[in-house]
Amino acid sequence: MFEPVFLAQQVLNGLSFGALLFLLASGLTLVFGLMKIVNMAHGAFYLLGGYIGVVIAGLTGNLLLAVITAVIVVAATAFIVEVVLLRFVRGQELPEVLLTIGVSFVIADLCLAVFGGDPQNLPTTATIPGALMIGDLVYPWYRIFVIGVAVAIGLGLAFVQTRTRIGAVVRAGVDDREIISAMGVNIAWVFTGMFVVGAGLAALGGTIGSGMQSILPGVQNEVLLYALVVIIIGGLGSVTGAAVGSVLIGLIDAFAKAWIPELAYFTIFLPMALVLVLRPTGLFGRTA
Amino acid sequence: MNRRMLVNLALLGLLLVVLLALPYFGVSNFVLGLASTILIAAVLASSVNFLGGDGGMVSLGHGAIAAASAYAVGWASRQGLDSMTQVLLALVVTLVVSFLYGLLSMRTSGIYFLMVTLALGMLIYGLAFRLSSVTGGENGISGIAAPGNLHEEWIYYYVVLGIFVITTGALWVVSSSPFGASLRGLRDSESRMRSLGYSVAQYKLSAFMISGTVAGIAGVLAVWHTNFVSPSSAGVERSVLLVVMVILGGIGTLLGPLIGAAVVVLVENVLSSYVDRWPTALGLIFILVILFARAGVAGSVPKVLAKLRGRSPSATPPGDRSSPEGTAVPDRNHNP
Repeated sequence: MFEPVFLAQQVLNGLSFGALLFLLASGLTLVFGLMKIVNMAHGAFYLLGGYIGVVIAGLTGNLLLAVITAVIVVAATAFIVEVVLLRFVRGQELPEVLLTIGVSFVIADLCLAVFGGDPQNLPTTATIPGALMIGDLVYPWYRIFVIGVAVAIGLGLAFVQTRTRIGAVVRAGVDDREIISAMGVNIAWVFTGMFVVGAGLAALGGTIGSGMQSILPGVQNEVLLYALVVIIIGGLGSVTGAAVGSVLIGLIDAFAKAWIPELAYFTIFLPMALVLVLRPTGLFGRTA
Repeated sequence: MNRRMLVNLALLGLLLVVLLALPYFGVSNFVLGLASTILIAAVLASSVNFLGGDGGMVSLGHGAIAAASAYAVGWASRQGLDSMTQVLLALVVTLVVSFLYGLLSMRTSGIYFLMVTLALGMLIYGLAFRLSSVTGGENGISGIAAPGNLHEEWIYYYVVLGIFVITTGALWVVSSSPFGASLRGLRDSESRMRSLGYSVAQYKLSAFMISGTVAGIAGVLAVWHTNFVSPSSAGVERSVLLVVMVILGGIGTLLGPLIGAAVVVLVENVLSSYVDRWPTALGLIFILVILFARAGVAGSVPKVLAKLRGRSPSATPPGDRSSPEGTAVPDRNHNP
């Protein structure tokens, strides 16, 4: 139970699951930070991205091609959802959330119709074979690759947010959307762009994640809840918070599943309930 | 008493007569069972509706409160306790769970309230799923018999109908009372109510206790009807469907929960045998309602009728208790 190899294994499990959570939660938290929408269709975007990735990877055996296709298709779907539906309820908190719930119903059900109900995984030809071996510790390279992707995406997001004009516009939009639109920025399209990017990140997570855990109907709710927990703990709108929250929840989840499987769900939601009561804005959230 | 109220009262009376006479139309047990399912869902939805319509607090965790109460009945019946004790235990569990929900959520509003209740619902789901020594795990608890001759479909239908009328009436009374008016004050402007000296958290907690109790009653009714409880009844999908019912029917209206429950249960049980893609149908109906009929069926029909008669739809009488757009969440710019 406390052997070094076992502990190292669980830490790596926690980190790789945390990496997957970060891909999901970063998109969700960015969308919330800018648009104040809790996108309940985020899990459905993950599901759709995962299925498309699995199919393309099965046809071509190329993971990069699978990711690109999944991201493009899901981004296009998100674009339609944003422009055709969400714009009509802009600024009304509840209808926005409820609308994304409706979208989630439809996407998840259509996925079931098209891809069937069986669990699907990324074909082994498209993943990275082999395992890392240090002494007694054996760990698949693919999971380490997922950690690498999450780190790269995190650094990329941080760079764009702090060092580029696009990032400056987004940060200004978070602070004061009236002023930024008065300065000649079309904030509506910034919103659309952010929603599409968030969905793209979910699709990336779906495709890459399908090499770690199966894609099947119902998984959209599970990943959405994990992502919500992460961004609530980390602080809504904060990418740093999403990173910290992902690692935290990933590790807690891995060790809880190994040590106290009976309370596995409880261990995730209890920290969240505590954060909500003690520090409702989350660890890195700003006070409204 | 104006003409509008008379019309509403007449419609209510008519509905009640139809519901009372339903078993005499020679309908099959299947139809009666379906009607009971709708009424039970309506009781549960009305608890969400009370909190969301008057309090502006839309809960995504009410399915789990009902499930906790149902599990209490199931556990007690497995221990061989009699039905009176089962109900008492369910009541205690419901009150404890509602109190915890209320305690954890009373300082939040809007989206945050939604997420706290969602998380708490998931907690209960997780416990139901994993704590198999008490809950039976994934298989749930089955063979929970209703007491006496309540297993007769038509008798049970009348019991459910009676409880539906009582809870709906009770919620209407609460909502018409000064307490209800204060709740709507909270919904519209928390900061104003606070500066008027109201204890916001206390009001929210009380409202949650009332709503939770009704949800618990629905849980007992449901478990006696299906003789079965499983983790899925505490799942987030259940709670989402409740919100769908409330919005479809018309949030903040008296009969909205019944209408919404009827639509959802019928789509789920009847349409599903003809169309495979019923969640898509439900999702599309839901999206259309949010986009075009925010006030739901019960809120929109009077508006449309008024428009047809050439009156302005905004000419609602003073003291109209439903929120203007049917969405009882305050504009975030007014939040403190």
